[in-house]
Amino acid sequence: MNPLLELKNLTVHYGPKCVVNDVNLALAPGQTLGLAGESGSGKSTVAMSVLRLLPKSASVTGEILLDGDDVATMSWGRLRAVRWAAASIVFQGAMHSLNPVQRVGDQIAEPMRLHGVEGNALDLVEQVELPRDKARAYPHELSGGQRQRVMIAMALACGPRLVVADEPTTALDVVVQAQVLALMTRLVREQDLGLLMISHDLSVLAETCDDLAVMHRGALVERGRTREVIANPRHPHTAALTAAFPVIGDPAHRWAEPAPEPEPLLQVRDLVVDYGRTRAVDGVDLTIGRGEIVALVGQSGSGKTTLARTIMGLRKPSSGRVIFDGAEVARNGKALKAFRRQVQLVLQDPSSALNPRHRIVDAVAEGLRVHGIPGDEESLVTAAVERAELRPASLYLQALPHELSGGQQQRVVIAGALVLEPRLLVADEPVASLDASVRGEIVALLLRLRRELGLASLIITHDLGLAWQIADRVAVMHQGKIVEQGSAEEVLLTPSHDYTRALLRAVPQV
Amino acid sequence: MRGVGAVGGFLAGRVDRGGFLAQRAGVAGAAVLAVAALIALLAPLLIPADALDVTRVTDGAWQPPGPGHWLGTDHTGRSVALLMAQGTGTSLFVGLTAAVLAVGIGTLVGILSGHFGGLLAGALLRVTDFFLVLPALVLAIALSTVLPRGLGTIILAIGLTSWPSTARMVRAQTLTIEARPFVERARALGGGHTHVIGRHVLPSVVPLVLVNATLAVASAIVAESTLAFLGLGDPTRISWGAMLHQAQLHGAVPQRAWWFLLPPGLAIVVVVLAFTLVGRALEAVVTPKR
Repeated sequence: MNPLLELKNLTVHYGPKCVVNDVNLALAPGQTLGLAGESGSGKSTVAMSVLRLLPKSASVTGEILLDGDDVATMSWGRLRAVRWAAASIVFQGAMHSLNPVQRVGDQIAEPMRLHGVEGNALDLVEQVELPRDKARAYPHELSGGQRQRVMIAMALACGPRLVVADEPTTALDVVVQAQVLALMTRLVREQDLGLLMISHDLSVLAETCDDLAVMHRGALVERGRTREVIANPRHPHTAALTAAFPVIGDPAHRWAEPAPEPEPLLQVRDLVVDYGRTRAVDGVDLTIGRGEIVALVGQSGSGKTTLARTIMGLRKPSSGRVIFDGAEVARNGKALKAFRRQVQLVLQDPSSALNPRHRIVDAVAEGLRVHGIPGDEESLVTAAVERAELRPASLYLQALPHELSGGQQQRVVIAGALVLEPRLLVADEPVASLDASVRGEIVALLLRLRRELGLASLIITHDLGLAWQIADRVAVMHQGKIVEQGSAEEVLLTPSHDYTRALLRAVPQV
Repeated sequence: MRGVGAVGGFLAGRVDRGGFLAQRAGVAGAAVLAVAALIALLAPLLIPADALDVTRVTDGAWQPPGPGHWLGTDHTGRSVALLMAQGTGTSLFVGLTAAVLAVGIGTLVGILSGHFGGLLAGALLRVTDFFLVLPALVLAIALSTVLPRGLGTIILAIGLTSWPSTARMVRAQTLTIEARPFVERARALGGGHTHVIGRHVLPSVVPLVLVNATLAVASAIVAESTLAFLGLGDPTRISWGAMLHQAQLHGAVPQRAWWFLLPPGLAIVVVVLAFTLVGRALEAVVTPKR
């Protein structure tokens, strides 16, 4: 039988830079193939080349056979007919791929109208398990998961035989991700579609795809049945990828050493935060001990970020108290500034947390300058940068953020926090936007800082695997309330609350 | 100071990658401006005072272009070419200072309303809207009739009427920057208002402000010419607008003295065009594409 999609010696150059190097892949009808790799590995370039969607600056050699037809040499008219009708794409980031001023029903119907395909957008809306009346909604009226369902409905509109999904669940939290993956698996099986799914997350691919291919620096380094590849990775890069996703309950993936019985450093008492009439944080009690790492887990919208911002004094609470080191935290003035020296923030996306115009030395020294700390600025900055494991510091100090990789940028953010010698680090999804192989290094760094400096951390995450890896204690947040808290083992292995169990069930299993 | 350094580095960085120098129209505009600036600086030094004194000129009135007076003479016998050279300085000076004034007010209002929000922003924005809907020319005319006549009045009139668009733009940019995580990081580090504005907001709006200032100079020169043409300028100074005013007043049209009307008109067009070209080129350089 002819393969649905066949890539022969596919090579893509952007100028002199080779981003995809001699890739050979075949996908039979009804087959599901996962393409894994880190950012910059060329996996998205492969996906876009299937429908010839690469920018003009890309030079493509090799063959891309879609049902035996070479996409690269197709006439423009033929290509238009093939796009969407034979193969379609579920793009990443549904928020940006949907037109904000059109009803989603019309957007789903758009490819059908263009291709003259009979069909009903409402049926598609039902197929992706959305209520029929949602077809009349605008994108901003839908949640992230619902928007992603709309994207899937759109991809299925013209009855394609191949669907390419580019990081379809990356922006979603675990529970919604599990629902969307289940939906995709069901549709692929029912309609006998070929699926090429691209992700940096092996566990997501393991959940949906029978076969797995791993890309590294533009080349295909491994290909095989998903189970075998994950169980016995042959290429070191694959091994690194599989190791980076912790298995909850596996002692090998639990890196946190047991902490001594801690005295409380930060206490939150009955904290309430309202946004207008919405109650984002609803009577939260939370304690973080000296040198303790606490993970605050929950879905997006559960109020965990608002809680963290309020603890940091970036938002005013509606009621309740935050007590740091025995004294209530001031809400303004010098005392608040002094408190902020003790508690530092590490944000999710390091590339946007650094001012693109500031050199690394300025970014790290910013806190010192704000607080007017005496002493030799250069030696303090150098010490902090080396403590964040950017060695030797002199290589990095004069660089601009965009010249560094994501992991290095996150280290700079951490160095900027360390330079003030804080006692508590509040980290909002510290590894979510980092590549798998870098992720482990940052986690190890946080643990080492705790061991060497006694630095306590509040880690905000939707990633239960991270909580298992690093946290002494876990607090689960749901609709503004903390529904369960206790030691990591208790909460993650023997959850007592239904919501915790639901979260754990949603974690994709490798 | 640091902000300016950052901008310098920023523009220079872009130049390396084919920034401003790659914009041919912008470079042409900059060349025209360099020539105009040179004329403006040299004219007062090179032109003898006698040549522009109505009581001492020797040529006859309304002479067409010829030897000794390349662009002919005006109604009093002064050389139009020398008047043009003398007027360059006034036009450029008024254009630049009025633009700096307008952009300065606009930047201040824009950053303050964008950064602080709340009641202050509401009040500042209503004031901005008030100036935005006022017909600028009419307001400028009203101001220059009320205030004593002079160069300062013209500059003030133009400056006070042309800042609202800058304020709106700077406010929008400020809001964009303030939403970025690095500003939150700065706050979490303990940075106050001065720190956030000085280290993060200002350096990010300065390139845009520079672009805006260049474009504002062009419209300020037109505004100055308009006011002078209407007879509201400083009567003791020669400017291109004032020349047009004189030409109109003393009947250059019935005299068929095209040499008195065309040069100042064309000079205004060329200089305004040059500023616009430079402004657009800068805009193309500082606005990230994609």
